[in-house]
Amino acid sequence: MTCSDVERALPEFLDGTPDSAFPTDFDAHVKSCSACSDLISDLKLISSEARQLAGTEEPASRVWVRIAAELRAENLICEPQPTRPVLVPSSQRPRWRMWWLAPVAAALVAAGSYLVNHKPAPPLAKQQAPATPAKSPAPETPTPASHTVPTPAPPQLAQTSPKAADNIAAVSPAMGPQPSAEDQQFLSEVSTRAPSMRATYENQLRAVNADIRETQAYVDQNPEDADARQHLMDAYQQKALLYQIALDRIQ
Amino acid sequence: MTDPKQRITETEAIEQAKQGHEAAFEVLYHLHKRRVYSLCLRMVSNPAQAEDLAQEAFLQLFRKIGTFRGESAFSTWLHRMTVNVVLMQLRKKSLPAVSLEETLEADDEAPRKEFGTKDVKLTGSIDRLQLQRAIDRLPPGYRTVFVLHDVEGFEHNEIAQMVGCSIGNSKSQLHKARLKLRDYLKFMRAEKAKTG
Repeated sequence: MTCSDVERALPEFLDGTPDSAFPTDFDAHVKSCSACSDLISDLKLISSEARQLAGTEEPASRVWVRIAAELRAENLICEPQPTRPVLVPSSQRPRWRMWWLAPVAAALVAAGSYLVNHKPAPPLAKQQAPATPAKSPAPETPTPASHTVPTPAPPQLAQTSPKAADNIAAVSPAMGPQPSAEDQQFLSEVSTRAPSMRATYENQLRAVNADIRETQAYVDQNPEDADARQHLMDAYQQKALLYQIALDRIQ
Repeated sequence: MTDPKQRITETEAIEQAKQGHEAAFEVLYHLHKRRVYSLCLRMVSNPAQAEDLAQEAFLQLFRKIGTFRGESAFSTWLHRMTVNVVLMQLRKKSLPAVSLEETLEADDEAPRKEFGTKDVKLTGSIDRLQLQRAIDRLPPGYRTVFVLHDVEGFEHNEIAQMVGCSIGNSKSQLHKARLKLRDYLKFMRAEKAKTG
């Protein structure tokens, strides 16, 4: 028997199902041939190591956020019925105060965009930079998205929504392990309006915040990594989407 | 704080998901997300695309969950669905089509045993990252069969059915994939030894 014969018989041997036609001198050759015995042990090793690769990768938190959004869009999720009486006159209904969610969502996208596109200036340049004028210029003409074109910075947001600008400080740079004040308020409103959804939103918020936090840390260390910056922008958009979904559902 | 997702079993989650409970969908997602995403990632070697495919697999699952009667394991059902989603994508995309016959003929851009290195044994263990990189380099047909058989544990008859080839073809592809991986891994090891 030659090494080529062994290689031809290998699939059957490794499959563990050698039939009666399997060459009888296979074992004898392998015992006497180091190349063939090495080949067999390597292929067994590859196969066994490959098994360890199953289920090792964790998808980004945005995957579930997108799935949940799609499920809602397709009406596959049955919403729990509100507990309050349906026939209460509208004037007597408690006013829904989720209006602030919309600017928060917008602020999240803008904050993400700013953080993604803003490359920190060298310390000297920072010191010499002129102070931001009290009144920012009119909104810029929209430009194609690009990593080299800076998007409107937070001061400009103050023009459209002072609350949104305030929110940036709360949600963007120092997203700690604890939920921000805005997140807490958001969850509190969800608890009031749809208690059964609180746990779901809390989990989603935690996942998205973790994604933002991790990506931000990476971007801080690798400011030139365009992919990471884009990922950070995506994470902010996911959070904005989460707020927007809540607004649509609970309002 | 106790995670509410841990409080219900998979069977309960399936029943509640049939009623449209979002929390149940989420439980099922978290139970299977790693396996599904990993499968997609191994087969397409592209994280963004793998996310899209995992999303599509779960959406298909949730759309059809009302038809799940429990004849097979839920995970089996989901993984088959995932494989089908990935294969469909591979077939219709501009990515090299998963044609096993094609791969048999023309894929040998890396000749075996010609890396100019000693034909050493891999010995002991294989670095997981290196193995993943080597899998990424496999031609799509080889990669598909290798991932389905050696990583995911499908049998040749199942692979033949899903991929649309003969059992013999699946076996042949698997063997060639393993041989090629061995060459890639030895090459990587030799390169690493040179630079390190």
